[in-house]
Amino acid sequence: MAKPRGTDGSLLTSLPWTLAAIVFSLAPHVQFLPLWITAACVFCGAWRYVIERRRRPLPSTWLRVLLALTCFLGVLATYSTISGVGPGSALLAIMAALKLLETRKRRDQFVLLFIAIFLVMSSLLREQHLWSLPYLLVAVLLIMTAWLRVSAVGEEPARRSFATGGRLLLYTAPLAIAMWIFFPRLASPFWAVPMDTGTATSGISDSMSPGDISSLSMSNAVAFRVKFTDVIPEPRDRYWRGLVLTLFNGRTWNSNDPFEGPQVHEQVSGNGDPIAYQITLEPTRQHWVFALDMPWSWSLPKTFMGPQQQLARGRPIDQRVAYEATSYLDYRTDVALTRYARSWYERVPEQSNKRTQALAKQMRASAASESAYIEAVLMKFHEEEYFYTLQPPPLGSNPVDRFLFDSKRGFCEHYASAFAVMMRAGGIPARVVLGYQGGELNPMGGHMIVRQSDAHAWNEVWLDGIGWYRVDPTAAVAPERIESGISESLLDGVASAWGMSASFAFMHQLTLTWDAMNAKWNEWVLGYGPENQERFMAWLGMSDPDWRKMIWTLVAVVIGIILLISLLLSLRYRPPARDRAAILYERFVNKAGIELLTGETPAVFAQRAAAESPIPADVIDEITSTYLDARYGPVDPVAMRRLESAVAAMRRQ
Amino acid sequence: MQRRTTLETLPVGKDAARAALDQARKALGTIILGKDSQIALALACLLARGHLLIEDLPGLGKTMLAQALARVLGLSFRRIQFTSDLLPADIVGVSVFRQEKGEFEFQPGPIFTQLILADEVNRATPKAQSALLEAMEEYQVSVDGNTRLLPEPFFVVATQNPADQIGTFPLPESQLDRFLMRLELGYPNEDDERELITGADRRSMLQDIDAVASPEALQALQKSAAGIHMSEPLVDYIQALVRQTRESPDIDIGLSPRGALALVAAAKAHAFVEHHSGVYPDDIQAVFSAIAGHRLKPAANTIYRSAAELCQHVLDFVAIP
Repeated sequence: MAKPRGTDGSLLTSLPWTLAAIVFSLAPHVQFLPLWITAACVFCGAWRYVIERRRRPLPSTWLRVLLALTCFLGVLATYSTISGVGPGSALLAIMAALKLLETRKRRDQFVLLFIAIFLVMSSLLREQHLWSLPYLLVAVLLIMTAWLRVSAVGEEPARRSFATGGRLLLYTAPLAIAMWIFFPRLASPFWAVPMDTGTATSGISDSMSPGDISSLSMSNAVAFRVKFTDVIPEPRDRYWRGLVLTLFNGRTWNSNDPFEGPQVHEQVSGNGDPIAYQITLEPTRQHWVFALDMPWSWSLPKTFMGPQQQLARGRPIDQRVAYEATSYLDYRTDVALTRYARSWYERVPEQSNKRTQALAKQMRASAASESAYIEAVLMKFHEEEYFYTLQPPPLGSNPVDRFLFDSKRGFCEHYASAFAVMMRAGGIPARVVLGYQGGELNPMGGHMIVRQSDAHAWNEVWLDGIGWYRVDPTAAVAPERIESGISESLLDGVASAWGMSASFAFMHQLTLTWDAMNAKWNEWVLGYGPENQERFMAWLGMSDPDWRKMIWTLVAVVIGIILLISLLLSLRYRPPARDRAAILYERFVNKAGIELLTGETPAVFAQRAAAESPIPADVIDEITSTYLDARYGPVDPVAMRRLESAVAAMRRQ
Repeated sequence: MQRRTTLETLPVGKDAARAALDQARKALGTIILGKDSQIALALACLLARGHLLIEDLPGLGKTMLAQALARVLGLSFRRIQFTSDLLPADIVGVSVFRQEKGEFEFQPGPIFTQLILADEVNRATPKAQSALLEAMEEYQVSVDGNTRLLPEPFFVVATQNPADQIGTFPLPESQLDRFLMRLELGYPNEDDERELITGADRRSMLQDIDAVASPEALQALQKSAAGIHMSEPLVDYIQALVRQTRESPDIDIGLSPRGALALVAAAKAHAFVEHHSGVYPDDIQAVFSAIAGHRLKPAANTIYRSAAELCQHVLDFVAIP
């Protein structure tokens, strides 16, 4: 076997750029990829660079095959599948790393750059943020530069490749914008991106145990943003209704599966003017749709109100959605409670929380009416030593008993759970509503941010003649939580835990500004879906756009822009004057059938042509000498005519 | 010292001057065998009013070429053998006190001639070299505070031996730049060498050559050469070549604007010698190595072993417009 030869170092000018492009396109994946893949990529990149630098030979075929097999099996073992965004990007990263090890010639790097482009695109399948655009621009610019480095003729300086890449990107920008505007956006896309089901999103789940919401209160993540059309409700009225929990097993509250209930207008009636607003909901991977209590109308398709007045969409919210909605702050639920339903809402497991049940029966007996009983329970929370705290002690079994009688320290879910159990044990139908309470008005964007930390649980009790009536036991314990929002009620002692923004006004301001920019970006760029497109097209004067019309418009606009850019470029760029003599000479060169080398003079070419081409030597001499005179001599019509006739004669042969 | 010049027999007028130039080229070709392109370059160098540096091993005809050039062009000729003890006064001359007249009288040195051959120029000390180099640049010499003009035309043909390293003072870049061209003669091919061995003695042949031009005719030729047409695409070409010398990683120091001017002048003169209707790309390529070879500073890590290879590499990289 022949001894493998070392590399010749010819890739040193382009390889660093290619490596940089790969690193940059890999960057957004790193936090999702298993550590060993990132490590493999870094290792292979460094290895390849050292090989080039030290003129070492590339690893042998056997080693490469072995590595490829190992890495493939590694991906399979890590993900147990090879489809989906996660395994897909992992495979791409591995491909890039291994391809590096067999990059021998300049043009092998093209494959690497293709992989880099795929990596950049696949990062968009995961998330799209405001910073995605600058990231994309820089990534594409870097890949373009690397591309130009690879295909650079001679020793082009790097900054010129960079400038050329930037210029090319600039030329394509109008095309990209036109395609973004005009590409038909369909309500139901032809394809769907398989989501990583394993990824947990922080947010309200469809059950509630002690500790669930207090853990959320640490999360600064945005749940949704709201833009009110005119009236902004008071903080105490900002109850964002989510799901309704009806089943209690002694510890955990669960919801019924949502199913379509009667029409909203049969369930609810409102007083006064409804409040109109628009919500941009971050993906939750769940069915629940949040709206101000009590929703009256909403624009999100395939969304219905369940029998417990909770909104749900048939398909989980797996992408950011925006919808308009109206709500009545003053409402009544007009549903009758059947005997069977009533017993359902009064059910408490008999063997659990016995002390609470006993206390409830005793308090109910001493209260004159149902409302007096409710009042008494709330007064108990208010007057006795109950505390509203973010870090309640663990409760173990019979958590309501332990909370009510022993620890007396809890977060909203403890109070909501205890209150509902007290009500049910006292014979009043009760349920728990999960959602958000509060929201921070962002003065920059004029919208309201509702964060995961605003998650809240409250109760609804059934009162004859009134229907379901909202009671918030947390308000009895910590009224400031409801009046001014969670951030201030928990400011003492836990401000640092809640997030850096609360205590630092400047940081908070920055956060708000960033959020306002994000909101605008979401609204105008990421939220540019079928409805916005239709509106925009109508504004442009295109009525009733369907995808056929859109495609034709797109093609026309793209062709128009290409023509415009070409025109501008041709006006700016003057090619070296191709005078008539040069054109005639080019015909002769083409006819000769041999390539004119760089830097080859006509006289030298004539010698080669005489030896290698079928054109007779005297014709070659005539054309060459007249060309030299006509092109490089002083203006000489005679020489030009002779050249013309010589070339014409040659073409006739 | 005045050489015999038969002014009345010399051709006058443009066409006649041209014919004389061809004759001179032919005559030179009989003395220096098989070196037609170098002869053309040497003539082009003189027509472009440039000084010539011939660099080659001993015995390849450097001195012979210089002498023959002076002879056929009818120029007065002196030769200075540069040695390490050569003093500036040995070149430019001294003032001698004349007892009988009671005053100093200037004894002009060998530099007061139309064509001076500075043999083995790198053997002399920098001080002596600089005396010659001032003359090359200023066309005058300063002795005892008096500035004396040199005859018109004035050419320096210097030779040096690249193989000698001990006891030499290589010319610095700034002084190399004063030579318009640097030529290498190289060995003759077998047939030419045979003719050289069997044929007549070159030294006596040289004596038999008649001048075919006069200094005045030479000046007319210089004027005509400078008037040769240079087309727009070739100006682009020269700029591209110069740019390539500056940007190529194989070259540390590229051509200066003076180098570019030298390239233009030499290409025009070469086109004139070659009877081209204007400057052809071939003219530029023919003079490029002679013009650029001693002006470029190759990079330390370049793979090109000689200046000629480096120049060819530049030519191979630039397309001819």
